[in-house]
Amino acid sequence: MASVKSAPKDAQVMVQILKDMGITEYEPRVINQMLEFTYRYVTTILEDAKIYSSHAKKSNVDADDVRLAIQCRMDQSFTSPPPRDFLLEVARQKNQTPLPLIKPYCGPRLPPDRYCLTAPNYRLKSLQKKGSSVGRITAPRLSVGAVTSRPSTPTLGNPAQTVSVTNKPVTPVSLSGQRFTVQIPTSQSSTIKSAATSTNTVQNVLINPSLIGSKNIVITTNMVSSQTSSNEANSLKRKHEDDDDYDAL
Amino acid sequence: MAAIPDGPVKSETELEVKPDSVNDIAGNPNVVQGIGGTPKTSPSVAATVASVTPPDITDRQTLLAVLQFLKKNKLLESEETLRKESGLCLDNEEQSGSVDGGSVCATGDAEGSDASLLSRVSGVTSAPAAAAVTGAPVPAKGDDQPDVSVVLSAYSQQGDPALYQVYYSGLKKFIESVLDCHRAELSQVFYPLFVHMYLELVYNQHEAEAKDFFDKFHGDQECYYQDDLRVLSGLTKKEHMKGNETLLDFRTSKFVLRISRDSYQLLKRHLQERQNNQIWNIIQEHLYIDIFDGMPRSKSQIDSMSGSLAGEARREANKAKVFYGLLKEPEIEVPLDDEDEEAENEEGKPKKKKPKKDSLGSKSKKQDPNAPQQNRIPLPELKDSDKLDKIMNMKEATKRIRLGPDSLPSICFYTFLNAYQGLTAVDFTDDSSLIAGGFADSTVRVWSVTPKKLRGVKSAADLSLIDKESDDVLERIMDEKTASESKILYGHSGPVYGTSFSPDRNYLLSCSEDGTVRLWSLQTFTCLVGYKGHNYPVWDTQFSPYGYYFVSGGHDRVARLWATDHYQPLRMFSGHLADVTSTRFHPNCNYVVTGSADRTIRLWDVLTGNCVRILTGHKGPIHSLAFSPNGKFLASGATDGRILLWDIGHGVMIGELKGHTDTIYALKFSRDGEILASGSMDNTVKLWDATKAFDDIETDDFTAATGHITLPENSQDILLGTYVTKSTAVVHVHFTRRNLLLAAGSYNP
Repeated sequence: MASVKSAPKDAQVMVQILKDMGITEYEPRVINQMLEFTYRYVTTILEDAKIYSSHAKKSNVDADDVRLAIQCRMDQSFTSPPPRDFLLEVARQKNQTPLPLIKPYCGPRLPPDRYCLTAPNYRLKSLQKKGSSVGRITAPRLSVGAVTSRPSTPTLGNPAQTVSVTNKPVTPVSLSGQRFTVQIPTSQSSTIKSAATSTNTVQNVLINPSLIGSKNIVITTNMVSSQTSSNEANSLKRKHEDDDDYDAL
Repeated sequence: MAAIPDGPVKSETELEVKPDSVNDIAGNPNVVQGIGGTPKTSPSVAATVASVTPPDITDRQTLLAVLQFLKKNKLLESEETLRKESGLCLDNEEQSGSVDGGSVCATGDAEGSDASLLSRVSGVTSAPAAAAVTGAPVPAKGDDQPDVSVVLSAYSQQGDPALYQVYYSGLKKFIESVLDCHRAELSQVFYPLFVHMYLELVYNQHEAEAKDFFDKFHGDQECYYQDDLRVLSGLTKKEHMKGNETLLDFRTSKFVLRISRDSYQLLKRHLQERQNNQIWNIIQEHLYIDIFDGMPRSKSQIDSMSGSLAGEARREANKAKVFYGLLKEPEIEVPLDDEDEEAENEEGKPKKKKPKKDSLGSKSKKQDPNAPQQNRIPLPELKDSDKLDKIMNMKEATKRIRLGPDSLPSICFYTFLNAYQGLTAVDFTDDSSLIAGGFADSTVRVWSVTPKKLRGVKSAADLSLIDKESDDVLERIMDEKTASESKILYGHSGPVYGTSFSPDRNYLLSCSEDGTVRLWSLQTFTCLVGYKGHNYPVWDTQFSPYGYYFVSGGHDRVARLWATDHYQPLRMFSGHLADVTSTRFHPNCNYVVTGSADRTIRLWDVLTGNCVRILTGHKGPIHSLAFSPNGKFLASGATDGRILLWDIGHGVMIGELKGHTDTIYALKFSRDGEILASGSMDNTVKLWDATKAFDDIETDDFTAATGHITLPENSQDILLGTYVTKSTAVVHVHFTRRNLLLAAGSYNP
């Protein structure tokens, strides 16, 4: 750090100001920070004042312009807390309402979801494969996790598809109970495909916890085409979560 | 008041004497009523006055006041008559300011608070603003009256700024000449008078006079006001005052002084017998003199109670009943043998020995008269996990070491290394298993103190794979792969100034300079909610002892009570003049105590939001507060290095612990209340004997009423030990359930 002798005059003035205000211990960089703030503030004010004075068609910037500039900046950057009488009034109103009763057995007591930060803040794009008509796979929208409360009817990229429920047992996921398995073919030439899909690799095994008690429904997706099975496997693997689920528990 | 038939001179003097004689104790309200009597007679008074040419300045001002009143009430003809007959011309009058003020008042706006603040005397500025805000009929009536009194008193300030020094020196000379016993009490007047006079000069833009006044008299003030005076010295223009809410509040609120009746009579007599009693006007306007009957207080007694920005507390402020007792613990059956770790079979299973019923604190079935009702405020019910916690607590309590002067606790110090002076807040869980640290780089870090690592809940996909019927499902949901000693929580956008664990160890709160309070889950280690309400830095936050509620206090001078499931605060505790720097719950969760930068401590009732106690005596901003476990006493530490002990029931100071040389940031009572531990920026932890400090306390209504406290000079006796750290400022202290003392701080060589 520069010694006091060779410090620029502004820095010396700043040291003096700090001393006058009773601040005796500070890091050396504080002076630089204070000086930077001073320069920036004064420059902003003077520039604003120039604008105001030219707007008022004055030839020089005078004290009134500067005063106006300061006032406008104060309201903008250096706001201060509300005045006391306002706070007392607001407090009086707020304190009149009785304390709300607490509902028992609520699980985590949190505000409504829209005031929480618990919603997923991303959404995955659905994968559209161009080129081969065979390899048209749209990720069926499945919801994973305990959040959803509705059985997710998988929606398909091509809604015109027919969903054929087959009795062909898929690779069993060994969970107890009976299971319905819904195979979802995902391409145009579905009928052919469904016959040909012998490699029914089960990608997403979803157990919807809210449904476990009632019915045991497992919805499995289908890797359709053999050519793209490997990449699709990876890409579909990623698409676990979904973008909805704003509903509260 | 029906003195109309009398000669004009008498009615004139009547008008002038009114502010003096009516104004005994309560300040403005009486003034208002006194002058409120005059309007009825004013038209006739005006008529009689008009026949006398006003000789000197005081009569002229009175005439102006009357004129203004007539204009306000639309008695235009009378006004014209008066004006013509008295030959006054308003334009070249110094009272232009007050006339403007009058017209501002007439239009009844309250938004132009800047305009109204700048053009009028402060003491009645709040009246029009309050009139618009509250809209009650009384301020409306006061709307006229303060206007007149504004004029009457405005001239006293604007009269002659050069005379301020004369007034002040005159008062000084008088006070130095009174009897010793009265001098200490009357010297209390100096500081508020000095500040108000200086602010008047600055407001009315007499810069040179203000500077002279300041230079001449600021050295006479008490040493503990030096910080305030330094702030004042930087304030030389009217514009400087606009952004400073604390000073504006100081101007509009009344500085409270407690003076015995004899001293007060002396002062009053002296000031009233002088010709120009402007000081008397200033005193009436800005000071509230709380008179008590009894012996005058000594200097030391006064010194111990004064120091705050608002003077001392009025007697009425500390009269409300405070339920400082503890809530009854619920009855839980406890197995007698200590080796029985399985808490799940404590109920129902027949045992050879009869299980002992838990009777913590409730020796009798009767309600403790000092304890609040169980359902005074709604509290969350006990879940099974809470019951298990309580049982653990009780088991630990049996193994607790009894502390005392000859059995001091061991201290285990947790030093935060490489924090680069960024450690700003620390908290321990109640069972001392986790530490949370808030840092200036806006992160919050949680460490596990025990060998057990921190585990988050598994992701949803993994959760779907586990066996839900197994017994240890609560263990299986935890993710072993990402277990670690510490977790970092990101989310704030400013330094984190306060952290607080919930009693059930599920949540962590943190408050920060960005104005939000964040709730973090300690099971997923993610942020759940951000509570926005303070728009300014939040300095402290704390969970209630029963969970669910939490309190936060910040730069906007209010403390707010929240519940975790409401996104807006439930209560707002407003009344402090400066930032709220420390907030704590009472053990029975019915009261919240806040310490502030205006050097007062206020106790608030959660049910109604009212302030039930105001405690003054600290000479610096208060940074730490601690309740004794029995709920009766409060300890507070501030930047002046003193710890003050208070009896909450009576609202009086009962002890003062001197020893620290720097700010005290950490205060905690031991689990049974025998020892008080304090940690400070002077790198020491000190232990104090709390039982001795609270022993044979004689507080009765007399001491509470008059403030005749006698503090024993026993700091050295009470100090049990001083433990110096190696250049590590102590930020937090905590007693474990077995009375081991943990302390935390960051090492900065």
